Order: sequence, then structure tokens, then C-alpha cells
Amino acid sequence: MRAPAPEDFTSRLHGPALAARVGPALGVCFGICFLTGLLSHYAQQPSQPVPFPPGPAWGYRFTQGLHVVTGTVAVPLLLVKLWTVYPRLFDRPARLDVRHLLVTALERLSVLVLVASAVFMLATGLANSAQWYPWSFSFRTTHYAVAWVAAGSLVLHVGIKLAIVRDELRRPLEHEARPSVLTRRGLLRSTWLAAGVAALATAGQAVPWLREVSVLGVRSGDGPQGLPVNKSAAAAGVTASATAPGWALTVTHGDRSVRLTREDLLALEQRTEDLPIACVEGWSASGTWTGVRVRDLLDRVGAPRGSDVVVRSLQESGPFRTTVLQAGFADDDRTLVALALGGEPLALDHGYPARLIAPNRPGVLQTKWLDRLEVSA
Amino acid sequence: MTARVALGALGVALTAYGGWLLVTRESDLLDVATWLVAGAVLHDAVLVPTVLVLGVVATRWLPWAARGPAAAGLVVLGSVTLLAVPVLGRFGARADNPTLLDRDYTAGWLVLAGLVLAGVVTATLVRSRLGARRVERGSNTRSG
Repeated sequence: MRAPAPEDFTSRLHGPALAARVGPALGVCFGICFLTGLLSHYAQQPSQPVPFPPGPAWGYRFTQGLHVVTGTVAVPLLLVKLWTVYPRLFDRPARLDVRHLLVTALERLSVLVLVASAVFMLATGLANSAQWYPWSFSFRTTHYAVAWVAAGSLVLHVGIKLAIVRDELRRPLEHEARPSVLTRRGLLRSTWLAAGVAALATAGQAVPWLREVSVLGVRSGDGPQGLPVNKSAAAAGVTASATAPGWALTVTHGDRSVRLTREDLLALEQRTEDLPIACVEGWSASGTWTGVRVRDLLDRVGAPRGSDVVVRSLQESGPFRTTVLQAGFADDDRTLVALALGGEPLALDHGYPARLIAPNRPGVLQTKWLDRLEVSA
Repeated sequence: MTARVALGALGVALTAYGGWLLVTRESDLLDVATWLVAGAVLHDAVLVPTVLVLGVVATRWLPWAARGPAAAGLVVLGSVTLLAVPVLGRFGARADNPTLLDRDYTAGWLVLAGLVLAGVVTATLVRSRLGARRVERGSNTRSG
């Protein structure tokens, strides 16, 4: 028994002709995932040198839905791409001089880094979208850091392979009369079909009209008041504090402050806005929210326009217990302290007694079970 | 050539930045390394060899007309099944949140598998008819 060599793989389905055709599509998917991922991380930064814009309201929903759909579509593309180049795994260096060995070793190392980081990104991303965390590292930190590794090794890989891709794409795939299994064209068509099925089977978690066909979507889109829930009141440990009769929202600006009970808030001018909830896990849904404009509340304590607002939740722990609502969002007319959803009082799992809802914002920053809004003087 | 060198340099810089982020911000590096290596090893040493064996079995046992459609079916159903592992296993399901993982994923997968199987059978029948006609006309050429 000896180790396999590249020549042992006789199928015409391996080789640069197919790699050069699937590779660019995969590269585009990874590029979209990388850029939309960077956008999401930036949107979650408390301090932003360039303020994240509050419009279009559907912007975050669109980019993050795209992030998860392209990541999902990348699974069949990556599997087929790796299949086409699999024999290269058993390559042996052509010559034994030091320079050649060193170059070969470095190139193979870069491919190993690319494959490991690419598989890692897709596996952790898919698990996260289903809220499954079978590891002990921080998903957010690691998915972000490894994304740079994957993007970097992909750019390096493109640099190394660009000439081969260009040559291969100039040559049309020749006709194969009677292949033993699949023709090259047949494998390409199967790959595009698999990518399309992967998209259709999952995209309904972000695209409402696909809900019926997305049999593998992480959420059907149903939930209390017609909207899914990311974190329940029970999981956040706020059931008692959120239903306590003495609850009131505190709004402060320096040493000025007001305390408003739910009845007080309901007595203020009510506004209704259609705004999406779009989660970092890629699902999203639109709701009709009614409540008080955040700007109206800030005016009551004399907080000037252009002020960032610190938003505190009743939650006793968790990374998003305290968040910053940047001035651009706080001053936007659509940003509400919502008291009702779809015309009914907010369900407990949607943030009763009051929650924040703003356009074009990550779901984790749409703080539920509000406690305080604070503007420093 | 300049473009390639520039891409290479940019790629190395981005990779190094990612490595630096990982080392400085994440404390559980052993677990990260395990997952990084496990993904590549499972793919190269388990998944691809399994598909290669399936390929050999298919070429031995399946009639010619069924091979192409079966391979196409494997590409579609195999990859979609793999990406659906987190929802099929419902590993992230939580008793306090019935809106998460709230579909019957087994039924959904069975429907998908049924559609793929129907596609494979239909394509096989069409190909065997066409193949038979070609043999009748005596224009059948074997290659590949």
C-alpha cells in the first residue's frame, strides 16, 4: 500500500478547467460575506468615526440576509471546488533544491490556511445561525478574526492562480460524448443547481415570500404577534422585573431626569412605524411598532440634538445589556420607544413593557425591556 | 506580474492581521485550533474519500444511464444535507423560545430528498430511452 499520487485520480472532474469555473463564484460569495460581515461589526461598534446611517431602514436586514444566504450557497461551491483540486493534496515537489522546496512549502501552507479558515467560517456561521455553539471560544471574536485570515489567504490564492484561471476561462469546455459518470458541464450544472437549492431551502428566514419553500430555514417567521423572538424574557432573566408594577423608564440628561411609567408613556404622542428586526444570525422580519419617539423623550430632559444615548436594559447580564444609541439614530424620527406591536401591547418576549426600535440597526442593539436612557451633560 | 505581487502582499497582510486579532482577542486558542484543523481533516480524510468510494461503487453497480443523474443528485442532496446539519439536529433548540428552529426539518428534508430522487429517476429514464435509440441507429460511440 502506497500513498496516492495525483496521477491516480483519473476522473476528468478533477483539474483546473472546473476549478477555474467554480472558484470565481466561490470567491464572490466569500467577498460578499466578508464585506457584509465587516459592515455588521462596524454597526455594532459603540463609537463610530463615520456614523452608521439610520437609512435605508432595510439596509441592515438586506446585508445580513445576504451574508447568511451567500455563506449557505458557498457550501456546495466550496465542496465542489475542493473536489476539483483534491488530487493536488498528494502533489510531491518536482525538484529537490532548497528554493523550490521552500516556495512549494509556502504555497501549500497558504492553501492549508485557506481551506481550514474557509471550512471554519462556513461551519461556525451555519451553527451560529441555528444558535448552536458546540465550542468554548467566543463566536463573535473568532468568526471576525478568522474572516480576515480567510479573506487574506483568498486574496493571496487569487494572486497565485490568476494566470491559470485566465487561461482556463479562454478555453471552452470540450464536448464529452459518453462519460463514465458525469461530464464536466454536468458537474458544473449540478453545482449551480445545488447552490440554488441551498439558497431556496434557507433564504425564507429573511425573505418573507420564500417562507413556504425554505424547509430548512432556522425560523418559519412565526412568533408572538407575528414576529420571531431571538432571546426570551425567561432566558434574559427579566420576567419578574419586566412585569413588576413599579416599572418606569428613566430618561436622564446630566442631572435632569424624568421617570415615566407605561401609562405616562402611553399618554404621550404615539407614533407608528413599520421597521424590521434583523438579527446578526441572518433572520429578519418586519413589524408595525407603536410608541413614543426617542427624540420626544430626549427633549423632555433638554438633551440637545447630536447626543449619543446610553441605553440600559433590565437584563442583569449579557454583552448587550448596555448599548449606545448613536446621535444619528436617536435624532431619527422613526426611532421609537415601542410600547405596542401590530396594534397590541408588546409581548413580554418582544420587550414588554417598552423596547427600543430604530431603522437599519442590528437586532442585538434593538434593546428590549428598557430601564434607562441616559445622555451625559 | 505587478498585480500578482500586490495581491500576494495584500493577502499576506490581511492574513497576518487576522492572526493578530485572533491571538490578542481570543483566549481559547486551543479550541479554535482544534476546529480549524478538524474542518480541513474531516473534509480531506473522511468526506472526499467517502465520495470517492461512492463513485467507485456507482460505476460498478449502477447502469450507465443512472450514473450521471445519481452523481448530480449526490452533489445537490449531499451538500444541502451537510449545510442543514445544525437545523436537522436541532442542537440549538431552547424550551423557552419556540420561535427558534420551529419547522419540521425531518419532513422538509424528506420532501427535498423525494424531489431529488424523482429528478434522478426521471433523468435516468430519459437517458436510457435516448441511449437505446442511439444504439438502434447504430451511432453509439463509447468513450470516457
